[in-house]
Amino acid sequence: MSILSVRDLRVRYSASGPEILKGVSFEVGADDFFAIIGPSGAGKSTLIRCINRLVEPRSGEIVLYGTDVLALNSRQLRKLRRGIGMIFQEFNLVNRMSVMDNVLSGRLGYVGNMVGLFRLFSKEDISRALSVLDRVGLSDHVDKRADELSGGQRQRVGIARALMQDPKLLLLDEPTSSLDPKISREVMALIMEIAKEYKVPVLCNIHDVQLAMEFCNKIIGLQDGIKMFDGPTSKMNTKKLDEIYAMEVL
Amino acid sequence: MAVSTATQASSDTKPAPPREWRRFKFPESLYRWGGVLLALVFVSYSIIYLNIPLDRFFNMFGRVGQLVADRYYPPEIDYVLEPDYLASVFDTIQMSYLGALFGMLMAVPLGWFGSYNMTPSRRFVYPVARLVTMSARAVHETIWAILFVTILGFGMMAGVLALTMFCIGFAGKLFAEEIEAIDMGPVEALRATGASELNVMAYAVFPQVRVAFTGIGIYTWDVAFRAATVVGFFGAGGMGWYLKRNILQIETYRVSAILVSIIVLVLIAEGISAWARARVAKAK
Repeated sequence: MSILSVRDLRVRYSASGPEILKGVSFEVGADDFFAIIGPSGAGKSTLIRCINRLVEPRSGEIVLYGTDVLALNSRQLRKLRRGIGMIFQEFNLVNRMSVMDNVLSGRLGYVGNMVGLFRLFSKEDISRALSVLDRVGLSDHVDKRADELSGGQRQRVGIARALMQDPKLLLLDEPTSSLDPKISREVMALIMEIAKEYKVPVLCNIHDVQLAMEFCNKIIGLQDGIKMFDGPTSKMNTKKLDEIYAMEVL
Repeated sequence: MAVSTATQASSDTKPAPPREWRRFKFPESLYRWGGVLLALVFVSYSIIYLNIPLDRFFNMFGRVGQLVADRYYPPEIDYVLEPDYLASVFDTIQMSYLGALFGMLMAVPLGWFGSYNMTPSRRFVYPVARLVTMSARAVHETIWAILFVTILGFGMMAGVLALTMFCIGFAGKLFAEEIEAIDMGPVEALRATGASELNVMAYAVFPQVRVAFTGIGIYTWDVAFRAATVVGFFGAGGMGWYLKRNILQIETYRVSAILVSIIVLVLIAEGISAWARARVAKAK
């Protein structure tokens, strides 16, 4: 049963610019942990940003839980976005705010302007933030400023912020690229556990092929805006990887 | 091996000529020197055209000393200690404070709307906000003062409004530039959570510019205070009025006393502003 289906997605950043995605289609199931791999410039980040329309595609179709994503107006789009958690390569935390405020900001899609502006979050939101911070192992750092934390800890704050959104889908944009190999593995393992606990499907850009093979059950291979491979991880092999990266990978 | 034999061979013969390199190749070098020459010609043309007698300019320094010694010394310090004048100093301080406050209240939204990266609409809101800020900036504060005195009559209100316009132009531009320099990562992250643009501003942008805004705010007050000493000249309230009256009455000892008081006050304001900005910068 697919929860997200993408059809013939095409993206250009300007009318005369190169086509970044050249008609990509795929389906994501309710319990998939989907990896998108491919060389730099293949369009991985663009593809993932199209799902919540941080990037506007030129044409194509995106259907998420039965909603036609590209047909939404800005109010409806905000409502859709609050149900899609996103985790970034550079964490994208607000460094001058506390860990708690960063995590609570994940809730902003659900509260009114004034509640957000004056930080009048409800008791439920606050207790939820504290338990989410427990879950990612940061209960000792609640009141620290985000820039006092290490890279791995910051990404955990990013994960906590995404979980505050009560996500129906997680988009990960190179979540481990700023981390060392050991921490990368820990973070990926945490995300995988959490995806299972919260029963959330995951769509993950990742250039580290080993991590993709280890944690993901399905893989899309992109090269130059074209889908070269789409299938379960077990079907992926060295020959196909070489083809995607146009070189010898493993 | 091949390299060493090659150097061997060249050292046997005569040494290679030093290799040359010029920063500006032929056509650019011509343009550059041409540009410098043009600028010099233009400056000398302006001086000749405006008929500026440079010899008088160099004699000026001796005459300044004589004039000050003859007519402006000693300053009549008692005059600036009179209650009427001290009240006008107090008025000036309050005027600068109110003008800076109102100006900045307007400059914050104008800075938001007039920053290219965060403006709600690049096609409509951005140019309007830039136009408002630029117009406020293009007109000098003394001209704002004359304008508001004409509309509202003499008094503090005209002065406060003139300073408000001045601060809109001054702080609005600096605020917009500060917003344009932020890291857009958190902005993208908060948009992805479905937060409203107002909340994106409050959570992703404001924490990044808070320290800079406070510094700019203090600096704006400092500059507004200097401007406030002048707007009174045109009847917009404050100590400028006393300056004008005494100049017209040729009370030169009083004029020098007033000038001394302005310099002292500006120095104090600048000191407070520098101290406060240093504190804010350290506060993270």
